[in-house]
Amino acid sequence: MTANNVSLSTLAKSSAGTAALLYIVLLVAYVSIERSALSVSAFSDLVNNAAPLAIAAAGGTLIVLLRGFDLSVAGIISLVNVILATHPMDDALGALGSLGLALSVGAGVGLINGALIAYGGFQSIAITLATMIMTGGLALVVLDAPGGAVADWLSENLTDTVAGFPVSGLVMLAVVGLWAIARKTNFGVSLYAVGQDEHAAALSGIEVKRTRCLAFVFAGALYGLSGFMLSAQTATGNPTAGNSLLLLTFAAIALGGTSFRGGKGGLTGSIIGAASLMLLQKLLFSVGVQSFYIGLLQGVVMILAVGLMNAGDRFGVKRA
Amino acid sequence: MQASVHQETPILQVVGLRKSYGPTHALGGVSFEINRGEVHALLGENGAGKSTLVKILTGVVSPNSGSMTFRGTPYSPRSILQARATGITTAFQELSLLPNLTVAENLALPCLKKNWFGLNSDARSCDTAAATLLKFGLSELRPSILVSDLSLADRQRLEIIRALSHEPSLLILDEPTAVLPSTDWLFDLIRRETAKGTAVLYISHRLNEIRQLCSHATVLRSGCSIGTTDLRDTDDAKIFEMMVGQRMASKQKPLRRDHAETQQQKPRLRVTSLSAGMVNDLDLALYPGQIVGLAGLDGQGQSDLFHALYGLIAKRSGTIEIEGKKVVIDSPAAALAAGVQVALLPEERKTQGIFGDLSVRSNMAVSALHLIGLLGFTTRKSERELARDVSGQVDLQQRYLDFQIKDLSGGNQQKALLGRVLLTKANTLLLFDPTRGVDVGTKQALYLAIEDFASKGGAVLLYSSELAELVRLSERCLVIYRGRIAAELQGEDIEETALVAAATGHQRHGAGEAA
Repeated sequence: MTANNVSLSTLAKSSAGTAALLYIVLLVAYVSIERSALSVSAFSDLVNNAAPLAIAAAGGTLIVLLRGFDLSVAGIISLVNVILATHPMDDALGALGSLGLALSVGAGVGLINGALIAYGGFQSIAITLATMIMTGGLALVVLDAPGGAVADWLSENLTDTVAGFPVSGLVMLAVVGLWAIARKTNFGVSLYAVGQDEHAAALSGIEVKRTRCLAFVFAGALYGLSGFMLSAQTATGNPTAGNSLLLLTFAAIALGGTSFRGGKGGLTGSIIGAASLMLLQKLLFSVGVQSFYIGLLQGVVMILAVGLMNAGDRFGVKRA
Repeated sequence: MQASVHQETPILQVVGLRKSYGPTHALGGVSFEINRGEVHALLGENGAGKSTLVKILTGVVSPNSGSMTFRGTPYSPRSILQARATGITTAFQELSLLPNLTVAENLALPCLKKNWFGLNSDARSCDTAAATLLKFGLSELRPSILVSDLSLADRQRLEIIRALSHEPSLLILDEPTAVLPSTDWLFDLIRRETAKGTAVLYISHRLNEIRQLCSHATVLRSGCSIGTTDLRDTDDAKIFEMMVGQRMASKQKPLRRDHAETQQQKPRLRVTSLSAGMVNDLDLALYPGQIVGLAGLDGQGQSDLFHALYGLIAKRSGTIEIEGKKVVIDSPAAALAAGVQVALLPEERKTQGIFGDLSVRSNMAVSALHLIGLLGFTTRKSERELARDVSGQVDLQQRYLDFQIKDLSGGNQQKALLGRVLLTKANTLLLFDPTRGVDVGTKQALYLAIEDFASKGGAVLLYSSELAELVRLSERCLVIYRGRIAAELQGEDIEETALVAAATGHQRHGAGEAA
């Protein structure tokens, strides 16, 4: 009985709900304009489009929950992309190797971030800006102009569908599943505790530094996964592939209801937030809005959504 | 004074504990012991070193020297968990609960109960929490609700229960009753625990509570333990004297104007039934040329009072009049426009006061930019002239004027800030602990500057955690206790022991209130 209460209350409090609502509204609007949107291929396009941003935003959320900023996302995605484009490994086994490579590049950069920020006491924005520039530069060393080719097996299978469901969607579901498990570990609880109040967390016996360092490692691994998914979709290498995702990542996190004050929100919200952003883009295209205006309108929708969430928050606080 | 009736060895023995933070000595030699099953009080003024001692006992900081023996073995915890494992837990004054987690999660931190997958089990955490809450008489709290949904009193209870749930041999309670409406629950709990042999270190400002609970008290003063006393044969006056010490209460006050003369004047600032933050229905009046002291123990609402007067927090009710006219002060800019200037305490100096990278003279001139601007531009020459004029008043050496302010010592920063305040030509000055952490010479210089300001017709409200300062400077001294003015002392009646008595809620001082 109590267990039910807990899960219900956490569900009700989760801000992923608002983002999901926004997504449904956008989806209904999109489907009513674009009848073909319900076909398997259109839906899988939608999901494929959203996957890299969604996974990158999921990683960024871990850091935002800790009241930090992680800019290295852009550099890591670019670096993974050019590595996969210049060192293609074919068939399933090769794909597995590529995945391992992507994850370890991301986690490695994350470890540098985490070690310097948690144990060195540096500011997260400064260090991750530095690693973003470093990895971005390294990407140019690996591949100095757009080109190369990602392994065919990757670009074909990861954009495919399994029993009518897009593979990239399964990857996102896997991330959500892993998060649901992580949330149920001491690390998950510590993440929220440290994000809320570092001092109180330390007085409660939580290892603040280790929590922070681990979060950066996991975030880096997710950026690596995001780069992996992006490479599968573009099938080619681009040393600045991650740059366009940088700010959208934070937009998705905000839209997903994670508080930049730390300690509130979650990965699932960010994934839905990212999906909403990409869907909005599609919707505006299909209405025939000129591409110049899309950024403008995306921003307006974001302010509205975040304003709505804030209003809800304030209402909740007053009630309490 | 070690009139211990117990012949057994003490559970905790502390000998010669010292701790310095840079040049500041937080603890300069603390020794005491606690027996099994004893409730031992720890007394001391603000800044006497109580919280540092708690941090050392809990393993948050480690001492520079001195030794501790706990249950017969040397004790030097390096973390909270180690202290907990050894048998010492603490209910912190600032509350170490996490409001975004549930009651059950908070109780279980840092390692939650697992289910058979090895993942956290909410159900098992809740069951364990429910059992714990029931055991300590708090079964009305639901384990599954968020701590942010609890009242402050319930959070305090939960903090205490969390410390107790680890079954400590020594429980440290730091100001446990500050937000509790009634002490019955806590006192019953403490009596039950001590009957089992648990020792309690009880830190409180409230002497009547301490007399109900404790047999012995150790008094800290300026980081040193003055002694342990048997409370049964020590009266309050003696305890206050131990807390305050034989500091000279010399009153070299400058010539005072006739009391009646002051009262005939119109008050410069009058506050009527102000409620804001912890301040509750507070009245106060400042007259031109008068320094009014404000005494109070930590957390009695003094900072809320200052913040409300400076427009930093919203007031719930009450009016503020300046020169007889009602004013609305909802921001520092509004306060300045009304002629009220606030200098906040050094703790906040870093965040609310100084611009570290700017030069001292720019820092001083920053709130008087309208005085030095030529067509809206600031010239370096006029800035320097202005700063030079005022630096004499606050005894700041002129060679410091071109330094970055962050390179100055705390005392000199404070002088520069006071200089800035004087430059604004405000005629009402609210000073919040202006001399905390500055050396004796600087203090004298600041005192003279404050008195100088008052003698020129300025009105001053001075809060200080150092009672000697209030005795030295104030013509009238108010004591704040639980958000209200609990006592008002005039002239020769302003004595440290009287202030401490009023500040601990010991007695209501009627004198002067009617005047």
